[in-house]
Amino acid sequence: MNVFKIAWRSVQYRGFGSLLTILSMALGVMLVVGVLTIHGVVSKSFKSNSSFGYNIILGARGGALQLTLNTVYYLSKPIETIPYEYYLTYCDEDTRRREFANSVTLKAHECEQQALDLAAQLDVGGPLALLSNSAREMVAENQIKVMETERGGLYEPYAEMAIPICLGDYYEVPNTNTAFRVCGTKPTFFSELVLDLDTREKFRFADGNNFNEFDEKYGYFSAVIGATVARQSGLKVGDSVYPTHGVPGDSSAHIHEQGFVVVGVLEPTGTAHDRIVFINLEGFFLMEDHAKPIQEDKKKVEAENEGKSESKVAETAGMFDEDQDAELEDFVVERKEPDKQEPEDSALEDAVADDEPATGATIVRGVDVSRPAVIDLTKEPLPIEQRELTAILIRTASSSDDEFSQLTNDMYLTNKINGGALESNLEWTQFRPRDSQKAAQAVNPIQQIEYLFSSIVDPIRWLLLILTLMICVVSGISILVGIYNSMSQRKSEIAVMRALGANRGKVMIIILLESVLLALAGGLLGWIGGHALNVVASPYFEAQTGVPISFFSFAPAVPLGTMLGGNLGLPEGLANLKMSPEFLIIPGLIVLAIFVGLYPAVSAYRTDVSKSLGK
Amino acid sequence: MLKLSDIKKAYRQPNGETTRILDVPSYELSEGEQAVLIGPSGCGKTTLLHVIAGITRADSGNVQIDSVNMTDFSESGRDKIRADKLGYVFQTFNLLPGFSALENVLLGMTFASKKISRDRARELLDRVGLSHRMKNRPTALSVGEQQRVAVARALANKPKVLLADEPTANVDPKNQQQIVDLIRDRCQEENIAMVIVTHSMEVAKQFDRVDRLDELNRVVSEARANA
Repeated sequence: MNVFKIAWRSVQYRGFGSLLTILSMALGVMLVVGVLTIHGVVSKSFKSNSSFGYNIILGARGGALQLTLNTVYYLSKPIETIPYEYYLTYCDEDTRRREFANSVTLKAHECEQQALDLAAQLDVGGPLALLSNSAREMVAENQIKVMETERGGLYEPYAEMAIPICLGDYYEVPNTNTAFRVCGTKPTFFSELVLDLDTREKFRFADGNNFNEFDEKYGYFSAVIGATVARQSGLKVGDSVYPTHGVPGDSSAHIHEQGFVVVGVLEPTGTAHDRIVFINLEGFFLMEDHAKPIQEDKKKVEAENEGKSESKVAETAGMFDEDQDAELEDFVVERKEPDKQEPEDSALEDAVADDEPATGATIVRGVDVSRPAVIDLTKEPLPIEQRELTAILIRTASSSDDEFSQLTNDMYLTNKINGGALESNLEWTQFRPRDSQKAAQAVNPIQQIEYLFSSIVDPIRWLLLILTLMICVVSGISILVGIYNSMSQRKSEIAVMRALGANRGKVMIIILLESVLLALAGGLLGWIGGHALNVVASPYFEAQTGVPISFFSFAPAVPLGTMLGGNLGLPEGLANLKMSPEFLIIPGLIVLAIFVGLYPAVSAYRTDVSKSLGK
Repeated sequence: MLKLSDIKKAYRQPNGETTRILDVPSYELSEGEQAVLIGPSGCGKTTLLHVIAGITRADSGNVQIDSVNMTDFSESGRDKIRADKLGYVFQTFNLLPGFSALENVLLGMTFASKKISRDRARELLDRVGLSHRMKNRPTALSVGEQQRVAVARALANKPKVLLADEPTANVDPKNQQQIVDLIRDRCQEENIAMVIVTHSMEVAKQFDRVDRLDELNRVVSEARANA
């Protein structure tokens, strides 16, 4: 028999009371562990997502934090869009020439040229020919100004990498309430971005591979899915996905008719990318409702030009005959009304009509999403004037890993973008008038994340920690109350121990040990419970953050000095010692238990043996 | 083995007055000697045992146990002497309810300097006829069995002196003699000096030496003479 056993026997003897005290302490510790671990997971998720090898996010002007959350973590609702031309300012000459070749402005220009040629042929030497020659010069000049295809993008020298992304659609997993966000992007997303800046580790494919700009088999309609998407949806290479237009919960949301074929499954990255369905950006643009309605802008410009009647180019543009107008309109992808669309698939038509799915069909929002995607290889890319982007991920150029030059370029580009250079320097066409464009902003994701942490996440974490620590303190007080209430009946026990030779110090230690044992039992139970709860909640957190939690996932280590809010006179080595705050829980509980056990212990110390012993 | 000289003890009442309880000029017990202490209620029997055990400090006088003068020691020193040299059997048994019979006996060794011996604890319980109840808690034992455990506990640390404060008062008549025999025989076996305080003349007449505290204690004898 030693003092530990005596104290433990006393805890056991007060079984139910001790159990309640232990449970209340366990609850407090469980919450502390939960808060610490979840904060660790969130931090890890944010950290691992924010070192992706880009230092600028370019998006529509508005909330910088919202742009960051939307782009980096795919959180919050979709934001405003920016014109595709912004992206082209970071492209090299070849890319720009290739992209501009697919331009409605260029097509219009060709039509204008043809009209002028026709006018010159019909009225050789006449006033119309003279007028057409004059207009030809202006059109040619305009072409160079408008197209700017003969050089690299304005900011191309300052950017090492620029990747456009489009968000807004979702992928609803059939027969579940799960929906993953869809991201339209370029193949460079997987070939250029790095998962870890230090190791330069890139995305790896668990199955299949990256999609191409244009695939001979799947055209523009191929997709790559994240690991979590693959696991939860059961999708594999060769399967088809049908994105939902709009937020799945909204009544206006509908399934796109155009399906995409999965060509690659990513390995888990522990980031938000694991929950994303990536589709080819060209295919994203070609889905219904994704083309910016250019005709309205054109008409608006024409109406303005007619009112002013001062531009010869405008007059020339108005010389299109009906056939040329029709040709141009064919080139432009018109906005389709979803309600008016007729289902092409007869099986689907039947299913919708009869309100009964065809055999083996999986119907989501009235669309058979189990059918293989119909790939039209002849589809032309959407004209650039009809394209809108959610954001552009930019890594500024640096010379031979010179951080200073990268910082300089970062500041230069950020200042330029936020100063409105993109809107004012671009030569906007009649199909994409300057005054209808959204202003752009450049944000540094790291700064935004630090801001988020310092202004929101950390204060909330502290608030939660304080609340949970208060629960621990209340549990500690319940230990005090439990032991104190038992003191009257225990006085005779203490007196007996004293009569058997125990000194005052020993009985005091026994009471303190009892308090410590209650706290430790509660602490250990709470720690185990907290981690078990983490395991139970792991699928949810993994779905939200991309970071899986195991039973032994500890809160991330921080220097001891930081945890204690200062060095507190500790040796420097000890103050800088990094450890998980979870390891402070048990020592903290012991201190708390000693503190709350002190009063009954002193009461035991002062027990009058002679009076309490009875006979 | 036990020697008291000029023991005086008084208590201060709430009204400030002092009430004398004990005034014992001398009391001695040789090694292995067995004595019964009798006297009317309120004559200071329990107080005297508490003074001998060092639980209560005498206002004056000396208490020598095994040639060690307890009054020379601080409270913790007296605690130590009590743990090593004394055994105490209470009228109300005073077993700890959260502990088994064996653990209660072991508790008698816990605070002493000697090594704790589970074998001795088992042997003592066996000798008091409770080898089959070692794991039972006091609430599962009869009053007779509880007092037998208390006797085993008092003997656990091989004391020089055993003090028994009316050990049979709360025990049914059937078990009273068994308890007296047990204490007497075990003390005899281990050569332990023993003082039994009792009201029972049945118990007293079984011992050669019977002391009347009302005669030993001058506070009581003077009061009686003045009355």
